[in-house]
Amino acid sequence: MAYPYVSNAEVRVISQYFGDPTHRRIDTYVKRGGYKALEKALALEPDAVTEEVKASGLRGRGGAGFPTGIKWSFMPKEPTRPHYLLCNADESEPGTFKDRELMRWDPHQLIEGCLIGAYAIRAQHVYIYCRGEFFEVNQILAKAVEDAYMKGYAGEDILGTGTTIDITVHQGAGAYICGEETGLMSSLEGDRGEPRVKPPFPAAVGVFGMPSTINNVETLAVVPHIILNGGEWYRQWGTEKSPGTKLFCVSGHVRKPGNYELPLGFPLIDLIDDVCGGIRDGNQLKAVIPGGSSVPLINAEDARKCELDYEGCVEVGTMLGCASVIVMDHKADLVKQIRRMVDFYAHESCGQCTPCREGSAWTARILRRIEEGQGTEEDLDTLMEMTEQMVGTTICVLSDSVAAPVQSSISKFREDYLELIRSGEQAGAA
Amino acid sequence: MSDVPLKNPGWAGNTGEFDLTEEQVRGEDFIGERPLHGGHSSVSATMPYMLIERNPEAELFEGEYQERFKKILTRYPKKRAALLPVLSMVQELRGHVSPESMDRVAELLDLSPAYVRGVATFYTMYNKRPVGRHLVQVCTNISCNLCGADEVLAAFLESTGTELGETSGDGDFTVIEAECLAACGFPTCVQINSRYFENVTPADVPEILEHLRGQAKEDG
Repeated sequence: MAYPYVSNAEVRVISQYFGDPTHRRIDTYVKRGGYKALEKALALEPDAVTEEVKASGLRGRGGAGFPTGIKWSFMPKEPTRPHYLLCNADESEPGTFKDRELMRWDPHQLIEGCLIGAYAIRAQHVYIYCRGEFFEVNQILAKAVEDAYMKGYAGEDILGTGTTIDITVHQGAGAYICGEETGLMSSLEGDRGEPRVKPPFPAAVGVFGMPSTINNVETLAVVPHIILNGGEWYRQWGTEKSPGTKLFCVSGHVRKPGNYELPLGFPLIDLIDDVCGGIRDGNQLKAVIPGGSSVPLINAEDARKCELDYEGCVEVGTMLGCASVIVMDHKADLVKQIRRMVDFYAHESCGQCTPCREGSAWTARILRRIEEGQGTEEDLDTLMEMTEQMVGTTICVLSDSVAAPVQSSISKFREDYLELIRSGEQAGAA
Repeated sequence: MSDVPLKNPGWAGNTGEFDLTEEQVRGEDFIGERPLHGGHSSVSATMPYMLIERNPEAELFEGEYQERFKKILTRYPKKRAALLPVLSMVQELRGHVSPESMDRVAELLDLSPAYVRGVATFYTMYNKRPVGRHLVQVCTNISCNLCGADEVLAAFLESTGTELGETSGDGDFTVIEAECLAACGFPTCVQINSRYFENVTPADVPEILEHLRGQAKEDG
């Protein structure tokens, strides 16, 4: 075994070469059929490329799950101003660690996807906004982009077709909110990463005031495979509404945490019990957050019913998000973990909108009070009421992300909170 | 099956249960070899290292750094967009971004000092005050926390003899808490200067610190 991310259930489309250190080199990549999809795409009309991606049903892998081909088709067909493609590589959702692996094992796959995407939306410049903390990834990516320029896959007159597409790798500086699409644009322009009100949507007014499209690393990494093999080919996996494969990042109390590429619609319980070898130390499953810290958590009962696609997660009251499965066993300190997540959001709130800025800090304080045994049952009602007012009242969804774990944990694991409250009261009485 | 989670070869000597070396995982041809002038202009904005040795008085900018600065400016339609990469370059050279450095950057990019201050303080990676030669950032967010990150943080604080956010007497270490570093499958993840250490347990801490002290001696 070369690498931890291996299971027989996997369908490795974009993660095929994880664990192969030679694959980062451009000559290996080309020898294995790399940049063939770019060649094929450049021979098509840009709209034909978009149509192929539409036919595949590929949905954005960053969390929202918006169909990629449709997003691309929002861009103006007759460019009168520069267009930009932005690649969101600011991976920072707690629980998510797929983009880092995609970039460090297979940087050219992403670059090829970026070039094809840029061609489809008639952009001449791609910015890859890479998370600041990823020094190693930035350097691997830098070397790969330099090589792509050197071999004529990027820059002017790509492969003699007359098409010009530049790539710039831009390193962030540490702010979760820059993973939000309009926050990323603000940051790329040299400003604080504060999200903007939509509309106008990026396809009309994006970065530098120009039409822009923003896609996640994983989304763009799939694109070369779709162009090469066709949209229908990609539909052989997954479900009707959620076609294809997806990287699942599993962390927490499982025996074999890691990235696993599986067809969408895969049962959550099989992912935990079979692919990841079950819960550590023979413990019992207590709760799962299936899509990164911003989505509601579910209990073991719902986890057994949950199918991992965009619709299946909604059925059990949560979301697929970016498929970052955080698993907690029965010994997990649930209230503490929820408080830790809320601390994170309070720290990362950009501070523009009052419900988020004040609400996240206030929520964190109440949770800390409960955790320390100073809480009352009334606090739970306050938390529910307060977080309700944090949903849909702000520019971006960071505020909603605070509400999701708090509300879902109080409604599904109220006993955990009550236990802390009661033990605090007993200690106080004694 | 063992209940010990598999280890990612995150740092020297720790190769876990795989047949890959640390260099292979991290990319031996790619790390630490980037030229100071930034290489191709497309990637000139990617290399703000956190170096062990810094010079708080370093000129902004001269020589290869000046060359890199000029390359960065060519990549954006607006000069202001170069602000983040330029601030990162300041930190690479000087170790932190002081108010004086911010004023100089404002001058270079035709921005107001107040604007630069506003941006620099928004981002966590810019050290607003000097830090130790090794900035130890322990992720204590949910995935790492579930697997004992609080104990790892405590071990770093104890072994370095520092309080959270303070620099040790010998100037070697500053230990802080970090938000999710996107290595959740390999808890606990610790970022030390520009490098990730994964699967860190409290027992690993003394060895890591020893390794780092050795580095400081080599370079110093």
